[in-house]
Amino acid sequence: MSSSTLIFAILFLALFSYWFGIQKAVKVAGGLGKVKHLASLPRQFGMLTGFWCGIPALLVLLIWSVFEANVVESLLISTLPEQVQNLPGSELGLYLNDIKVMAGSGIVSLDGLADDKLVTAQAVNYYIQTNQNASWLKTALIIVIALASVAYVVSRFSLDFRARNQLESIIRWILMASSAIAVLTTLGIVLSVLFESIQFFSSVPPWEFLFGTQWSPQIAMRSDQVAGSGAFGAVPLFAGTLLITLIAMTISVPVGLMTAIYLSQYASAKMRSFAKPMLEILAGVPTVVYGFFAALTVAPFIRDAGEWMGLSVASESALAAGIVMGVMIIPFVSSLSDDAINAVPTPLKEGSLGMGATPSETIKLVLLPAAIPGIVGAILLAVSRAIGETMIVVMAAGMAANLTANPLESVTTVTVQIVTLLTGDQEFDTPKTLAAFALGLMLFITTLALNIIALKVVRKYREQYD
Amino acid sequence: MIDLSSSESLVSDEIKIKETVGDIFADDAKMSMRNVNVFYDEKQAIKNVSLDLARNQVTALIGPSGCGKSTFLRCLNRMNDTIPICRVEGELKLEGDNIYAKNLDPVLLRARVGMVFQKPNPFPKSIYDNVAYGPKIHGLATNKAELDEIVVSSLQKAGLFNEVKDRLEAPGTGLSGGQQQRLCIARTIAVSPEVILMDEPASALDPIATAVIEELIDELKEKYTIAIVTHSMQQAARVSQTTAYFHMGQLVEMGKTDQIFTNPTHELTENYITGRFG
Amino acid sequence: MTSSNNTAQSVELTTTEKVAFSLKKRHRKERNFRWAGKLAVSFGFLLVVILLTDIFLKARPAFHQNWVTIEIDYRAEWLGVDSAEAVAQGEGNYRSVLRKSLYQMFPEVKNRRAKRELAKIVSTNAEFAIQDFLKENPENIGKSTQVRVRLDDDIDSYLKDEPELGSIGPRINERQAKWIQRLVEDGRVEKLWNTEFFSNGDSRDPELAGVKGALTGTLLTMLVTLILSFPLGVAAALYLEEFAPRNRWTDIIEVNINNLAAVPSIIFGLLGLAVIINMFGLPRSAPLVGGIVLTLMTLPTIIIASRASIKAVPPSIREAALGLGASKMQTAFGHVLPMAMPGILTGTIIGMAQALGETAPLLMIGMVAFIVDVPGGVTDAATVLPVQIYLWADSPERAFLAKTSAAILVLLSFLLVMNSCAALLRKKFEKN
Repeated sequence: MSSSTLIFAILFLALFSYWFGIQKAVKVAGGLGKVKHLASLPRQFGMLTGFWCGIPALLVLLIWSVFEANVVESLLISTLPEQVQNLPGSELGLYLNDIKVMAGSGIVSLDGLADDKLVTAQAVNYYIQTNQNASWLKTALIIVIALASVAYVVSRFSLDFRARNQLESIIRWILMASSAIAVLTTLGIVLSVLFESIQFFSSVPPWEFLFGTQWSPQIAMRSDQVAGSGAFGAVPLFAGTLLITLIAMTISVPVGLMTAIYLSQYASAKMRSFAKPMLEILAGVPTVVYGFFAALTVAPFIRDAGEWMGLSVASESALAAGIVMGVMIIPFVSSLSDDAINAVPTPLKEGSLGMGATPSETIKLVLLPAAIPGIVGAILLAVSRAIGETMIVVMAAGMAANLTANPLESVTTVTVQIVTLLTGDQEFDTPKTLAAFALGLMLFITTLALNIIALKVVRKYREQYD
Repeated sequence: MIDLSSSESLVSDEIKIKETVGDIFADDAKMSMRNVNVFYDEKQAIKNVSLDLARNQVTALIGPSGCGKSTFLRCLNRMNDTIPICRVEGELKLEGDNIYAKNLDPVLLRARVGMVFQKPNPFPKSIYDNVAYGPKIHGLATNKAELDEIVVSSLQKAGLFNEVKDRLEAPGTGLSGGQQQRLCIARTIAVSPEVILMDEPASALDPIATAVIEELIDELKEKYTIAIVTHSMQQAARVSQTTAYFHMGQLVEMGKTDQIFTNPTHELTENYITGRFG
Repeated sequence: MTSSNNTAQSVELTTTEKVAFSLKKRHRKERNFRWAGKLAVSFGFLLVVILLTDIFLKARPAFHQNWVTIEIDYRAEWLGVDSAEAVAQGEGNYRSVLRKSLYQMFPEVKNRRAKRELAKIVSTNAEFAIQDFLKENPENIGKSTQVRVRLDDDIDSYLKDEPELGSIGPRINERQAKWIQRLVEDGRVEKLWNTEFFSNGDSRDPELAGVKGALTGTLLTMLVTLILSFPLGVAAALYLEEFAPRNRWTDIIEVNINNLAAVPSIIFGLLGLAVIINMFGLPRSAPLVGGIVLTLMTLPTIIIASRASIKAVPPSIREAALGLGASKMQTAFGHVLPMAMPGILTGTIIGMAQALGETAPLLMIGMVAFIVDVPGGVTDAATVLPVQIYLWADSPERAFLAKTSAAILVLLSFLLVMNSCAALLRKKFEKN
């Protein structure tokens, strides 16, 4: 049975166990009329039985699914002839892949095959056989486990069995496990990115990656060329990311801040009720749409405008991507700044107005200085957003790793390179794909640091006025 | 804070307040208000109030919570302008100029009529910058020396100078509550206003700090015309020369402070003075 | 006394004068500042208008398709078969029928290059269209009849530009322009609603490409995301608000959730690639994997919103339930959760809207492949609407520009519906 069918089977069994548990509980009580002698409600007995049926079975299924592919593969390798087993990692991987692909079309007939073909064909058949066996074993094991745990819990039913307490502690555990997923996700990110990066750094030294100024991973892709020196210098990517982020910030910070100020201090309620949804539209537009807008409307416009002024502008200029990214971030900056400005106590504002300061003087001399930590936090979060933004730059920024500060030229960014390196079919484990994870690590560390600092700044600031 | 039992009796109060008793006129009026009505949207917060603020005197506005005394005070330097739903009607004059006139600049008005708030609200700046704030925005000092002089003299007038003279660059928010409130007073007088409005200036302070502030108010009236809203009748009795008693948005009684506290004319005033409600 | 009064008087006067002196300048500054604010708000407004108009204008051509009616000669010698059975079995050389029918219509076309250009004015799909027509109407074997087929995307785009007939256009040469002019003048060209945009899968030919495959993929992915993220998010929020002890572990969870909410989405794609595909061996390009990745990404949003909503339930409700003898669990599930539900649902919808528009992590897990078939299940290879937009935006054919914009409009209308639902729910919730 496939995993999804098994999940449905387990759910069905659990439902059945629910009913079965209720029947058992009623029986233990000695009939429907005497149910009140039980320490818990029959329904609670039922639910407990259902959980006992489902949870162990689902856990086993999960663990099995995680390890099945690897176990089957190592079994397969152990049956292969020695010279195949001793192949280098990537070639063995290709060989195994071929077997798996062939297995997709069913058992191979062994009649009249040459020796080398015979080995492969046998391996294919062995692979199919093992997978079938594994599938049967899995199904049998899971059904046995489900039934056994139901039998166990039902055997403990008695008049003073505290089904409710047990049920509640199980639910509590489930709730806690759900909340732990956030931690597991972070852990998964850190471990996966770190693991692949360490592999990458074993073939490319970290300082070359961090300080090298040449980025051309395509060259190192060819198998006869080991990851050469200089091919993985990420400085142009960092510089490109920085340049585009800078352009985005020069647009989004003033516009976002002024929007927040105007809407919170000057605008009428009517104007606000009109402008807020408009900002929400800007915030809700998917990044791929912004990417489209940047690549097919803004970039050609800037190029034409540049030509008209006699400037040479790359068709994938950093300026186009940066401007559109800035637009995307405006609502983000404005809503966070709005929070920061609104957190300033009204008496401060009134104190200034009461002395005869104009509204703009009050804003510039009292509100903004008081809200500055919140605004700084907002800007840091916005920078983190801009650095991690992918689709706009993938669609509107270039692929060439130019080291330049000219916004009219084409630059590439960390996220663009991650996407380029990992899309399309290629072998995993080459320096090229691993480089993407090293870039991912840089991205994760940078954004995490920015977020932590920003959240700290904002929290400290909130405490100040609470 | 009006409990249910008293609000039931308020229905009959409406009939009792026909017009203000006592003397609303001052011989030498700095500000004079006639038939002031204030609305929040549809709700009327001030009903037909007329009174004068006598020059170089302290006028106390007293009454139970929600009686409109703070709202009225905020009309006197147009602070109510900052609340969009608030509407003010009537004639309000400062030295004969209508302060709600179209051509009168609220900025100029607020420079002439300063305000001290209920909770001390020093800006998150140094003590010096707090006091220098007004003179700077209004351009009252032409150079640093003049500004220094204004700051020092304002702090002296507010009785704070000796306590802070060694730490003028320290943040104003680091002072104690009473000091903060005196800093706010110094900040207000640094602009040399003609009138100072005080909205329960001592309600957030301890008794000792309160006593200092009250003493200060008494000194300040030599130079300024002061209107103070207060919750405490004792405070009104101690610092003011004239007292106005507000009830449900109406001015019930106004007169010399001694007379109001010893021999009130109106039954409502008497009830309040004697502590029947409030 | 008098003298001090006098000095006070003189200071007062100068104060007013001094203030009045700089007043004009200060009010000008005030006006400028206010203008800057207005400018910033209008800038945002202008951008929304430009963005939407730009996409609307670009999308407009995608909703129509130009068709041409050709005289098709199902001559047996061209077709190669002459029986209805053979036709039903899909035999026959329809390409030859189509070409020769076209040459028949334009007998003056003689040289090979011109013939090739002539064949290009109809869609590559036309030969299948005339095959299907014959299958349904087998009585036409050996006869000549009128069949309506799609024009090629280049011709289609050319006609939508409403050119002066007979003039050359982008990718249209003089000869082709003349033929088109004749077809139009003969009344053979019709502009029809392009309903196939919603019923076709992806295609290399823009005139055939539709969003059904991507829409199905999106639906499946969103289904997986919803099934996983809603219960997990609610459970986590319930635990953190109602049961979690205040200790280090809870703090770690909270910090984690806050940080995850700000991790770039592409990182979640890396996680999906390294862990879910390479370690757990789940299939690439599958909505299942996409759904899991998007779940991990949207969970923080849902948890944060749900917690806020649970926190807003007044403590008196809990006290009342606990006082009646309900257990903590019964209180949480029976009283707190139902009251917090509108807020939780709002948060979930917003989280789902975020997931709906997400592209980058899905590129990482291979949902970027060119897939013609409409996916049938969560483990089939599929793509989603935003990725489809990305793919089409990259295509050089001009007609794909309109298709891309139209797909964006579809995506935006989904988002609009979802966000309006969330807004309505919030409004209703706030009223109570």
